Amino acid sequence: MPKTKNTLRLNLLAMFIAIIILQTSIPLIGYIPIGPLSITIIPTTVVIATILLGTTDGAIIGGVWGLITFVRAYIWPTSPLATIVFVNPIVSVFPRIMIGLVAGWAYTALRKRFKNQSLSVSIAAILGSITNTVLVLGLIYVFYKAKAPQLYQINMEKLLPYLIGVVGTNGVPEAIFSGIVTPLIAVPLSRAIKRRQ
Amino acid sequence: MSNFLFGRYLPGNSWVHQMSPQSKLMLSFYFVIVIFFANNLASYAALAVLIAIVILLSGVSILFFLKGIRPLVWLIIFTVALQILFSAGGTVLWKWGPFSVTNLSLINGGFIFIRFLLIIMISTVLTLTTTPLAIADGVQTVLKPLKKVKFPVDTLALMLSIALRFVPTLMDEMETILNAQRSRGVDFGSGSLKHRVQAAVPLLVPLFTGAINHAENLSTAMEARGFSDSEHRSKYRIYRWQLKDTVSWLVFLLVGGLVLYLRK
Repeated sequence: MPKTKNTLRLNLLAMFIAIIILQTSIPLIGYIPIGPLSITIIPTTVVIATILLGTTDGAIIGGVWGLITFVRAYIWPTSPLATIVFVNPIVSVFPRIMIGLVAGWAYTALRKRFKNQSLSVSIAAILGSITNTVLVLGLIYVFYKAKAPQLYQINMEKLLPYLIGVVGTNGVPEAIFSGIVTPLIAVPLSRAIKRRQ
Repeated sequence: MSNFLFGRYLPGNSWVHQMSPQSKLMLSFYFVIVIFFANNLASYAALAVLIAIVILLSGVSILFFLKGIRPLVWLIIFTVALQILFSAGGTVLWKWGPFSVTNLSLINGGFIFIRFLLIIMISTVLTLTTTPLAIADGVQTVLKPLKKVKFPVDTLALMLSIALRFVPTLMDEMETILNAQRSRGVDFGSGSLKHRVQAAVPLLVPLFTGAINHAENLSTAMEARGFSDSEHRSKYRIYRWQLKDTVSWLVFLLVGGLVLYLRK
């Protein structure tokens, strides 16, 4: 029955959105502070959604995360970085949609080649995480070059090295974390879902 | 717990409470856009007076607003400091290495401080006087024109309402999981990357499994009650455009015009 599947899909998407909302507002399960860095584990959630629900839905979940980041950059910023960078919807939303798409494509391509599901999930997760970092960094650079109007007119020329330093140093542990944790969560979950159907 | 959406709503019967959520949402949007145009003392003052009137009309004690700003104080100070130390132009008053303070940067820093406050105030008014579900309803009404291009507005709104409904539930579950793991001796607050990974997995797996269980149970329950699609649903609460909305919009548009007139 296709209709039943639609209702389930709607509810699964809603639950993933709820988890994302939770992760963006509670530090412990959304961000892991390690020393001076604060790495986000939300890309992990996006990749898990991609693997369990498919590429399109993963992109939707990523987009929702981006929208939340975008709105919060104005009304309830999480870091000074957010007020400078994420007030631009292209920087905050687009990379997050791409996490879902890249991880989804990588996963479907890898599953055809490898027998090992964990390995495919791990590589897809690392790629998804790297997509986020690279696109955010790249777009910051592009918009700096294009001299886009900003909410807070800060002299970007002096600030750019620091900005790239912060995002870049976060990106590496984020990718490692994603690569290790995502298969540990996604594989048992996908088995649990299969068992019920 | 820093929470920007939940547990902040204060029931009331004021002017702002009675306005329809869609117009409150659009007004907040409009207000943030107008803030972009303000660039001198007079225009910022006009906006500050407007927001003071809105706060008075919301019937919410000013203490709640101050409480809302408290977790953001350091962030605001940091951003203002960045602005003051890193902006160029104007007469240099003080210089040390890459940092410099100019008279222009001081003025801009002050304006950014006001800008921050104004945006936080308007969004606080919105979340203090509107329930999350009413906001979801407002989003649905605001996005209605997108239906013309086949964008699934109603499905999105339903999804958002379900998500908002389940955030507190999932939060409770997470608390239980956290305490269960803590009672087994897991330390969430410290340790190396490897340690953190080991702590995160037994937290996230039950959370996701719980969420998937909710989704399945809810689907069964919805279908048992005859849910077929989200396009033709009726509503329990209907928010209509009222005279109060029209009056508020007129005032906001007037102030918007004033800001355009006053700006340099």
